[in-house]
Amino acid sequence: MLRRLLASGLLALSAASCQKQTEVERANEAGILLVGNSAEPKALDPQLVTGVIESKIIGALFEGLVADDPEDDSALPPGTAASWDHNEDMTEWVFQLRPEARWSDGHTVTAHDFVFAYHRMLSPDLAAPYAEMLYFIDKAEAYNKAEIDDFTQVGVRATDDFTLELRLREPVPFLPSLTRHYTWFPVPEHVVRRFGDMTERFTDWSEHPNLVGNGPFQLKEWRFHDVIEVERNPHYWNAADVGLNGIRFIPIENPYTEARAFLAGQLHTTYTLPPDLIDTMAEDYPEFLRQEPYVGTTFFRLNTTRPGFDDPKVRQAMSLSIDREALCEHILEGYTPARTFTPKMGTYEPEPVLDFDPEKARKLLADAGFPGGKGFPRYSMLISRPAARASAEAVQAMWREHLGILVDIQNMDWGSYISAQQSLEFDLASAGWIGDYLDPTTFLNMWTEGNGNNNTGWHNDRYEELLKQAALQADTEARHRLLAEAEAVLMEEQPILPVSWYSRNYLHRPEVKGWHPLLLDNHPWSAIRLEP
Amino acid sequence: MTPTELEKGTSLWHDAALRLRKNHAAMTGVVVLAIVFLSCLVLPSIPGLLQDPNAQALDLKNRPPSGEHWFGTDHLGRDIFSRVLYGGRISIAVGIITTAVSVTIGVCWGALAGYAGGRADDAMMRVVDILYALPFLVIVILLGKALDPITADLTNGAVDLFAGEGATVAEQNDTRTWVEPITTLVPLFIAIGALSWLTVSRIVRAQVQNVGKQEFIEAARSLGLGHARILFRHILPNALGPIIVYTTLTIPGIMLFEATLSFLGLGVKPPNSSWGILIEEGANRMASNPWLLFFPSLFFASTLFALNFLGDGLRDALDPKSSKD
Repeated sequence: MLRRLLASGLLALSAASCQKQTEVERANEAGILLVGNSAEPKALDPQLVTGVIESKIIGALFEGLVADDPEDDSALPPGTAASWDHNEDMTEWVFQLRPEARWSDGHTVTAHDFVFAYHRMLSPDLAAPYAEMLYFIDKAEAYNKAEIDDFTQVGVRATDDFTLELRLREPVPFLPSLTRHYTWFPVPEHVVRRFGDMTERFTDWSEHPNLVGNGPFQLKEWRFHDVIEVERNPHYWNAADVGLNGIRFIPIENPYTEARAFLAGQLHTTYTLPPDLIDTMAEDYPEFLRQEPYVGTTFFRLNTTRPGFDDPKVRQAMSLSIDREALCEHILEGYTPARTFTPKMGTYEPEPVLDFDPEKARKLLADAGFPGGKGFPRYSMLISRPAARASAEAVQAMWREHLGILVDIQNMDWGSYISAQQSLEFDLASAGWIGDYLDPTTFLNMWTEGNGNNNTGWHNDRYEELLKQAALQADTEARHRLLAEAEAVLMEEQPILPVSWYSRNYLHRPEVKGWHPLLLDNHPWSAIRLEP
Repeated sequence: MTPTELEKGTSLWHDAALRLRKNHAAMTGVVVLAIVFLSCLVLPSIPGLLQDPNAQALDLKNRPPSGEHWFGTDHLGRDIFSRVLYGGRISIAVGIITTAVSVTIGVCWGALAGYAGGRADDAMMRVVDILYALPFLVIVILLGKALDPITADLTNGAVDLFAGEGATVAEQNDTRTWVEPITTLVPLFIAIGALSWLTVSRIVRAQVQNVGKQEFIEAARSLGLGHARILFRHILPNALGPIIVYTTLTIPGIMLFEATLSFLGLGVKPPNSSWGILIEEGANRMASNPWLLFFPSLFFASTLFALNFLGDGLRDALDPKSSKD
């Protein structure tokens, strides 16, 4: 028995050593990039998803009006639109589409596809969770909230096949940067309608092999929980400049497993790297380790409709008893303790208010009617991946020690984790938010009433009033002042407990060229080349 | 001719014990099991001996084994030695309880079916077939959810009982920490045991049918013995070998299953540990902190091996056909 075990073990070992080429080497020859992509995406319909995981794949399959630049987040290279123009106060924009842009089935990409996409996205029946990204368009919010039912009143119009006109509700100087986000991407009307009504959710149009996009790549294969592979799209307007023959997105939820897969030569780039591996990697594999700035925040989202969490005093007490310095020093290595929700962004710097003060926290909790944690309900914290367990357990211990509050920790797969929060069927969740564009509103707009990413049950009139005022303000400094004021309201109320500001830690192979540090981490796949 | 002394008769059990004692692998297994079980069950119960398995000291994280922390500390600065022993308590408890429940039900069901034969046997075995067809993991997940309110009441009751009246919140929380894994897991694993007796019932049925056809059972029957007496005194003891072997092999299987459930969030909840959880955490960090994987795996693997060797030894020892020496 033992002998047989040994023999089969030896056999396996020798088989492994006979394998001359690693996956990466084979992929290098084939011109295919192997990308670690954390989890199985919820869907590939750009109008129904909210995650970073999905955005990576959608970025290969679709292209917006403006493209991403491989080296500079603020550069605005033309995408499907060849050029654009705006009026004096930046409330009216005209995009000229390039006539040579094609869908991956050969159809021409027209301005009507964009109008259709925005119509679909804003239809109340679709219930797109990210619809508010389009609220910058005049009357878009009213249409999305079913206050008007005539879409022609909404400020989006195709004057001819290749001219898209946008009328905004406020001056939006960063509109071109905004259109790089997948919520602004076109969807092919002829394909969507073939598989169902415009407002039907999760129809087969975005499944393999039906999905048609306008990006540099097209969907080749989708094996559930195994791989999503894309290949060159021959109809892409700039196909000659696409450097890769294909990309494989591999969902590996456990980042430790992902790091091992990378070191075994199975990936070109990882989705992330667990903070506690940074030191080892820096020592053993400095050529692979990347640590770059990233605009994002980790936080705890509270369901403020739960008893206890409905009291701002309790939420503040919980926030005050999180020792963010210790967390970032020992567990979230490389991350910075969050002092407010929005990370530093250009000239926007809100007041740093978050602090560690267990004394005050205990007093607040007692004021709220739970002295020493007595009688506080037992709640359960959702986490979506094993790597989040370490910081969750540390905070669990802090709340227990400082407040006498016990919470459970519950692991969930990505899809259920998102659904539980969107339907407010959770108590609290460990979460993260990555900026979609370089403006503080990408962090602040989501905490408004009815927003698909709010999911706290919290809203505040003054907060929304300040955001509205800021939106109408053309002067950057005055605008930032109003936004900072709104952020102060958010931090006073704390429906969310910010923990740390991200840094982007990952492993990356040096033969991948055209991949530069980017604050928003949206590397245009078309610019990447493999040069082993 | 010298008168021969009457040879002293030896019982089947006595022979088996002798044979087992000569089997070194099995005896080593017994010793290892005794050490592991005793240290896991006794040491954590002695107050003040071990460090609190859930006490975090972030500035002492990832320390390799030392005099202070025999097995080192984990990524949150918790003492691995006490986590392994406390975790072992849970793993061993669920292994033994579940196996006991499943073997008891399985033996009774299989023996009755095999002894009764005919239509009763058919009906009982079709029940087994049907239960086999149900997706086990799905049922256990549903069961876990269904048991939630019961275990919550049980936990609260146990906390009140052990912490005493008028305990502070902190004292209650401390009590809850050690009570909760037991009160939440034991009902769940009793239920799992009540669902996982199918294989053992088939084995026992076949064995009972086999033994039941032999002459000494005919003899017992002709002496007018009752069914119960025949079944429990004459048939089952002769079918015991496979049952014992199966039992020793089931315990590690259940321990592994507990690890699966914990991973799905149904078993042990953080911050509490079990061997399965410790090994999973250790495997994630094995490149940088190998001791996190080594010590829990050492305990788990030794238990597993010891149970397997013991099972092997018992099978050889209890086989009535093996030579009498």
